[in-house]
Amino acid sequence: MRLGHSRKKCGFTLGELMIATGTGGVVLAAIMASSIALQKTLNAIDNYFATEMQQIRIIDYLNRDVKRGLAVTTSVDLQSVTITLPSYLIQAGDPEAIANPSLVGTARTPTISNTSSGPQVNYGASTSTIIYSISGMSILRTENGTVTMVASSTDQLVPQTTDVELANTEYARTSVTFLPIFTSGNLAAERNGTTLFSTAYLRNKRRG
Amino acid sequence: MEKSSKKSGNVLLCALCTILIVSAIAGTVLINCTTRYNVASSQVQSWKAALQAAEAGGDIAYAELRKTILDPSNAFSGWTSSGLVYTSPVTTLGSANLTASSAVDLFYNDAVTGNPWYRIRSKGIAPMLGLRRTGMDDRMISGARGDSLLRKIDFNYDHFISAYGPNGDGIGKALVAVSHAQLARRIELIAAPITPFEAAIKAGGTFYGLGSAAFVDSYRSSSGPYDSSVKDNPSDWRYPDSQSGTVEINSAVATILGSIFGNVYTNGGTVTKKTTSISGIIDNNVPFDLPPFRMPSTTTWNYVASPSAVTGNTTITPPVAASAASPSYYLMSSFANNGNLTVNPVVIGGVAQETYVAIHVTGDIGQNTSSQPTITVPPSVHLQVYFDGNFQTKAQNIVNTSGYAGNLQFYAISPTDPNVQQTINLNSGGGSTAGFAAVFYAPSANFTINGGPDIVGAIVCKNFYANGNVHWHYDRALDTMGDVVDYRIASYVEDIR
Repeated sequence: MRLGHSRKKCGFTLGELMIATGTGGVVLAAIMASSIALQKTLNAIDNYFATEMQQIRIIDYLNRDVKRGLAVTTSVDLQSVTITLPSYLIQAGDPEAIANPSLVGTARTPTISNTSSGPQVNYGASTSTIIYSISGMSILRTENGTVTMVASSTDQLVPQTTDVELANTEYARTSVTFLPIFTSGNLAAERNGTTLFSTAYLRNKRRG
Repeated sequence: MEKSSKKSGNVLLCALCTILIVSAIAGTVLINCTTRYNVASSQVQSWKAALQAAEAGGDIAYAELRKTILDPSNAFSGWTSSGLVYTSPVTTLGSANLTASSAVDLFYNDAVTGNPWYRIRSKGIAPMLGLRRTGMDDRMISGARGDSLLRKIDFNYDHFISAYGPNGDGIGKALVAVSHAQLARRIELIAAPITPFEAAIKAGGTFYGLGSAAFVDSYRSSSGPYDSSVKDNPSDWRYPDSQSGTVEINSAVATILGSIFGNVYTNGGTVTKKTTSISGIIDNNVPFDLPPFRMPSTTTWNYVASPSAVTGNTTITPPVAASAASPSYYLMSSFANNGNLTVNPVVIGGVAQETYVAIHVTGDIGQNTSSQPTITVPPSVHLQVYFDGNFQTKAQNIVNTSGYAGNLQFYAISPTDPNVQQTINLNSGGGSTAGFAAVFYAPSANFTINGGPDIVGAIVCKNFYANGNVHWHYDRALDTMGDVVDYRIASYVEDIR
């Protein structure tokens, strides 16, 4: 009995090996391609959701500030917004805080003054200012000099705000768009498809 | 069998590895998606719902405040009061079990009118559904501080009470557990009194007038006496105050004649600048509400028993100068057709004091077109006349010597019977140009004036009719004069702590 004979029987022919290697390569390539595609999809979905969350956050920030604002001014290029607000909270350095430091961070009691346009509600002698602006790749919210970055990737995320003054009130209309990373042409339609709109009315009777 | 088992092992290993890789990727996607969904669906939604609840609480408080004017006996019913602060019960609203509560406090009294200003603080709470997780962006985007700074979620404890105290004034800080994760938002509203005379003429119904050669303009008495040339001279420093002769009409039915140096508002009208002479804004979409006028509370007024009727020549000399918030108060059962009422100021040391007097006539003042009752108010006297019935006299019989319209105020108490039509007829007749300085608040009365009197003042009425060449001058000092007739929200602040 020749044992080697049976081993020869167990081997593959060249043709079998080539077919097996080819099939395996195709399968491996398919798996690799699928994995890469899946990874790209994950990346795209994550980016899409993250950017969408930033959209929502910017609009929520803006709406909150516009509603409690006294006046809104939008720059000509529609890329920055300045909001004037009542100084509701006592800040360090305010006259009340100098007289009594424990009042820092507490709410003011408003005062009433008569102006040429009628009685006016005042929180403190001055007002606060909030500016939303684009700086590099970030969107910044600056309140009385204190800067907070509320969104990043501004190259992807583009907010535009217009303010409209009516006879009895004023409102600010905001739209925020971003460019999904699966697009490469930077086409207007691709960006417009992501637009989130918002309109917020100023609640205060006083202006400025 | 041996060969077969080896081949199965390889395939199984490859399959497991593939499944592991795919599962890991899918799991990561799922975790990220769930976290994003949690933020977008639960946290953002609850944050917005909390503001809706806070504003609902503000609306409830505002409605109660309006009742102090429109339905005093039911104002703040069911609320608790402590000093000058009213606190609401907790209201549950909406399908998401939102809760709203509010507090109202009187924080300011106008020194001139005595009218109160109220502060409304409202808190809205929305339960937060979903997972007790913060958003991802705070930790994923370097340097960005977004979600947690914007939406402050109470996962286990009420952050506001622990950091600032229940009233936000730093007093009473305590660690208070919440029964479920929640978002709370707080707003502060200021309710300003609406005074009756914010426009020269305000008609809740139809409007006709004033005559082709008539005009309505304005001035500010604190800047000097009225000067008819100012309204046509933009270079005059008083010019801005001359363009507030505003006419407001709460219907589409209006025939506007003459010149109006101010704004014209209608409710659905078709007024255009091409057909009338109007210097200011024309807005045909300004509806407003003129609720019936009720006699204000007299509990803090200084009641004086005599005289109790105006018969013939009747003179009132009050015992004290009093104040706008607490005037000397006379209750008159009648005002004779030929009655002549004079109200004198209190004089101390030969000096006339600023004297505040209120009269309530429970019937008519003048009962037919031939009646000629007179009312005379010398300088330093501030007279408010409340009447239940009609008012008829000649324009020149209203004598307000100071010339300040705010010193003589007429209030027509609305009839309780809707079938009764109240009237005010100031038919001057005979083409007399003599006029008066006074204001009328008569939301339920039809107002008629004929002839061409020169009038300083303002009127609020139901239907307005004037067919003469009236010269009507609105005093801008009236902006803040008179008893509160309603409230409006003048300020809105959100406490974002």
